[in-house]
Amino acid sequence: MKKILLALIFLFNNEAIAQNKAPQDMIREFVQIVGDQIIDVAKDKSLNEVQRKQKIINIIDKSTDSKWIARFVLGKNHKTANEEQRKQFMSMYREFMINTYGPKFNSYDGKKFAVNSVEKQSNFYLVKSEFTPKNSDVAIFFDFRIKENEGSFFIVDFIAEGVSLIETQRSEFNSSISEEGMDKFLENLKKRIDSLRLENGKTSPKNSGKSTKK
Amino acid sequence: MFNSIKINCYKSVFFVGFLISSIQFSLNCFAQENDAEFEKEFSQFENAINKGSIHDPFENFNRKVYKFNDTIDRYFVEHIARGYRYSVPRPARTSVRNFLDNLTLPISALNSFAQGKIDNGLTTISSFIINSTLGVGGFFEVAGKRGLDYEREDFGQTLGYWGMSSDNFLMLPFFGPSNARDLGGFVFDRSLDPVGFNVVHFGGNTNLIDGNYRIANTAIKVIDNREELLDILDGIRKDSFDPYATIRSAYLQRRLAQIDN
Repeated sequence: MKKILLALIFLFNNEAIAQNKAPQDMIREFVQIVGDQIIDVAKDKSLNEVQRKQKIINIIDKSTDSKWIARFVLGKNHKTANEEQRKQFMSMYREFMINTYGPKFNSYDGKKFAVNSVEKQSNFYLVKSEFTPKNSDVAIFFDFRIKENEGSFFIVDFIAEGVSLIETQRSEFNSSISEEGMDKFLENLKKRIDSLRLENGKTSPKNSGKSTKK
Repeated sequence: MFNSIKINCYKSVFFVGFLISSIQFSLNCFAQENDAEFEKEFSQFENAINKGSIHDPFENFNRKVYKFNDTIDRYFVEHIARGYRYSVPRPARTSVRNFLDNLTLPISALNSFAQGKIDNGLTTISSFIINSTLGVGGFFEVAGKRGLDYEREDFGQTLGYWGMSSDNFLMLPFFGPSNARDLGGFVFDRSLDPVGFNVVHFGGNTNLIDGNYRIANTAIKVIDNREELLDILDGIRKDSFDPYATIRSAYLQRRLAQIDN
């Protein structure tokens, strides 16, 4: 009983502390934690490639608002698609996103990840950050867009060299849907997810070879 | 007695029916409200990011050019770039890139001045002088390591800075994505450049730089650029459902960001 009480006090106290903080500080912390978590997993040599991939996929899954992104990426096709197609797309997009982008962070075992600034822009926050790779002193700069949803923060965009991931993907999806039609596109998306799952479930000798040679 | 139970039964059936329909109604309302909220958010989001729209009236032709470039690339250029990556060690490749980059700095400085970015222009010139001397002809990027930080500018950006829109998107044979404004800018920059098209002659000297050197410079530049893009293009080819659209969007966004810097 005492333990429960203590836990409750701890919980509420934490919340009180959290509420006193400015959202900018909370976001800075949130992005830093996500970045550090990814680097830690990428560095962890006790895990094999598949375990690392799956762990990073989980981190990405938890920290992104895939429903929001899915809706954004669907763009103008949201209006023309029927209920069934919309549902299919929404349910598939999350799997597609985490399995496509998660494994890309596998090689992010860098020296440092730092958040440089947090700036409010209309209804989201723009976070500027830098990452220093393992074998280089030159930092790579990239930005995140963060959205608040019921007291929690979620990543909704990743920007490198001024190129927004969701904007580019929306353009790509729009173009592909208008060329091939919605049904064919959904079919391709399904096929892609299946092959990505298969790929992420096994080690790829080609990739590991590449990373050692670079 | 039975009658009253019957009535009660009807009542409760009616009540449950009412309950279900009202829940459904409120769920629908909620969904619609949710949708409306979503839409509002997206329009706000889009106004804030303001990426501009894509003008691609020659899309059919551009796609053909893209296919042509893609084929040439898959058969030749990509292999050369991969061979270059695996046979030449990274420090040597970096030096080559530094050397080529350094040669573009004077034109970049001129464009900075043309945009009224005097400070950036002067820093670019200082970097050129330091890299060319202390950095042994530009092979070592000394200025950047000493904290000299500058943005690169080209004539396409200068035109954009002064308000010219990017106009129609173009996929150029061999050169890749561009637009009407940037193509004009590219031709203008290369005309001024002593290692470029050899159109403008400085001091009456018509053969300041040997023609063979010009060709070698361009060839190495192509290989260096392609090597730099290896990972990005591999990613696009693997991930994208429409690589042409991905490259088009990414190119236009990147140029917009460069103009805004």
